[in-house]
Amino acid sequence: MALWTVTEIDAEAIAIGAGILGTGGGGNPYLGKLRLQKLLRAGHTVAVIDIEDLPLDALIVEVGTMGAPTVGIEKLPSADESRRPVEALQAYIGKSIDALICSEIGGANSVEPLIVGALTGKPVVDADGMGRAFPELQMSTHFIGGVACFPAALADEKGNKIVFGHLLNPAQLERFARDICVLMGCRAMYAMALMTGQQARDTSVPRTLSLARKVGEAVLLARKTKDHITDAILAVTDGKALFAGKLLDVQRKTTGGFARGSLRIEGQDAYRGAWLHIAFQNENLIAWDGSATERGSVLACVPDLICLIETDTGEPITTEQLRYGLRVVVLAIPCTNRLRTPEALNVIGPAAFGYPDVDYRPMPKTPGIGIE
Amino acid sequence: MRRKIGLAELENIAMGAAVLGTGGGGDPYIGKLMAAQAIREYGPVELVTVDEVPDDDMTVAIAMMGAPTVMVEKIPGGRECIDAFKAVQSFLGKPIKYVYSIEAGGINSTIPITLAAQLHLPLLDLDGMGRAFPEIQMVTHTLFGITATPFTMADEKGNSAVLSTIDNRWMETFARSIAVNMGATAHIGCYAATGKQQREAAVHGTMSLAEKIGATIFKARADHANVLRAIQDVTGAFLVFHGKLIDVQRRTVAGFARGEAILDGIGVDAGSQMTIEFQNENLIAKRDGAAVVTVPDLITMIEEDTGEPITTEQLRYGYRVFVLGIPSHEHWRTTQGLKVVGPRYFGYDVDFTPVEQRFRN
Repeated sequence: MALWTVTEIDAEAIAIGAGILGTGGGGNPYLGKLRLQKLLRAGHTVAVIDIEDLPLDALIVEVGTMGAPTVGIEKLPSADESRRPVEALQAYIGKSIDALICSEIGGANSVEPLIVGALTGKPVVDADGMGRAFPELQMSTHFIGGVACFPAALADEKGNKIVFGHLLNPAQLERFARDICVLMGCRAMYAMALMTGQQARDTSVPRTLSLARKVGEAVLLARKTKDHITDAILAVTDGKALFAGKLLDVQRKTTGGFARGSLRIEGQDAYRGAWLHIAFQNENLIAWDGSATERGSVLACVPDLICLIETDTGEPITTEQLRYGLRVVVLAIPCTNRLRTPEALNVIGPAAFGYPDVDYRPMPKTPGIGIE
Repeated sequence: MRRKIGLAELENIAMGAAVLGTGGGGDPYIGKLMAAQAIREYGPVELVTVDEVPDDDMTVAIAMMGAPTVMVEKIPGGRECIDAFKAVQSFLGKPIKYVYSIEAGGINSTIPITLAAQLHLPLLDLDGMGRAFPEIQMVTHTLFGITATPFTMADEKGNSAVLSTIDNRWMETFARSIAVNMGATAHIGCYAATGKQQREAAVHGTMSLAEKIGATIFKARADHANVLRAIQDVTGAFLVFHGKLIDVQRRTVAGFARGEAILDGIGVDAGSQMTIEFQNENLIAKRDGAAVVTVPDLITMIEEDTGEPITTEQLRYGYRVFVLGIPSHEHWRTTQGLKVVGPRYFGYDVDFTPVEQRFRN
């Protein structure tokens, strides 16, 4: 039973919403959006179904792309590349997969399952495994919730395919797959986290495709009516504005395959005289107040979302776009409760990113608004 | 022809495989112990010549890949071969009736014997190299369009993977990375081929050859006969140099043991120097700076007194050795073969000259 059928306008809205939920990372959904819209124009369709409508024994798998977002912009996928991992996985297990699901709603992987859905005719579940973006494969509510990390399939645009039949744990999957991804040319397509409908209900972050669309629609409407874009975003995400100002300094280094770094923002308007510091690893991790030179106390941190929005356009700014002089509004958005358990915080809390001294204090959440 | 491989035959194969290992291929010792245990437990293995195999019957190679130095320390759990074999079978969706060695030189001569014993499958009297080579695509099967896909990998921890690639060079790239993450060694199943394909593409009779070389060495030692002469008789080897090892340079680069050994001449070779460069296997032997033997021909050093073949990881100052050059299989000497394993592939700016054109016995 289809909840909705994706239109070209939906694709536009999802890409905008996913950019904001990408919390600075996740890759740019722009190219994926173009590919999806082209498929829809050519007569392909893709149905989005509610997680509650899934049969408990249905077979579902995450599909997406991994690698360096900078390469993803240059190395375009071949026409049917996106469907290859699912097909390799189906051949391996000898069964057909019933539905697809997003691994991460933030960034490029929001639209990837919709593309595979359009190519294969399989419906896409309105849910994901993060409710945001994260840099590593094991950082998923599916794996944290006990979904097996095998079998998992990787494919590239050349026709190479690799299926991991058995792996010790999701961190091993990240290690094996990351190295293969680099050899495949720094971008690979995957199908992983094979689960039942029951497991999806128990472990996914529900209704996040709808949320991304809703956020995107709010932005599009605010642009049209010349309303405050950040207010529109906050209204549908249950977030709050942390800061507004001018980007004064970005320190960036690429280590271990990640873009790590930090930035400083000088307050403007209501925040004049104040400073904000942010640390990032692909995604924004921690926001501190403080002076021009010293970090003060933590205002927001992983797994809650920290998003930089360009003041004039309302466009989300990814960490690779950061540069001196940008005028930004910084938003914090409460994450899903599935990321707030002790087990989840072990994998995606501040300590997991190298900040053992930062305590995670969950932002308050309003039931019925934002990420569930 | 069919005959049995028991413990005595295994002992000979392991010794002969070290000669064919041309300095590399991994020390057959660990592989021999595993195979011996399997033979004791499940009985001798049947060795079958390729003419006995029906055209359509499937065969598969079972092997170990990785760093020879790690193989000696990280002992396999024992189930990996079976995991790798079963994964190939399930990918192909049909039964595999024979196993074979992809590399008669070194440890991979004995790895398939373990599986053959465990699963009561016959072992083919052939291999894919007639020696040892460092990379996955360096197999005569590659020259006949046989793909390494499905390529299965398993480690002692229980990790496993199935790879399909667009060519055998890509397989080397991906499999090497996975092997490194598995802890620098892995068991693999690959190069599934029909009986008909094996007749055309494989190097035939190499298990028997290894066995014969081993038996010859042991017999010559026991008879206090000339071991060098005995090895030459059975392999057609040419004596390239007699010398003493005076220097070894070794470095581990991108998962390989690379380096060079320098020998000062003894006896008729006194006053000359030989340099042997290796990447796991010996690649090129230069006498006073000029290449005299190169890949794909085999360059094997044997210890002067015992005839014991010396692997590159065993090289050390003071060894007195005979350097042997053994003609490679004709498959490797074609234009196509030299593209895959010739001196230029390994970065040497020399043309291949067959060893028998430079030396006389």
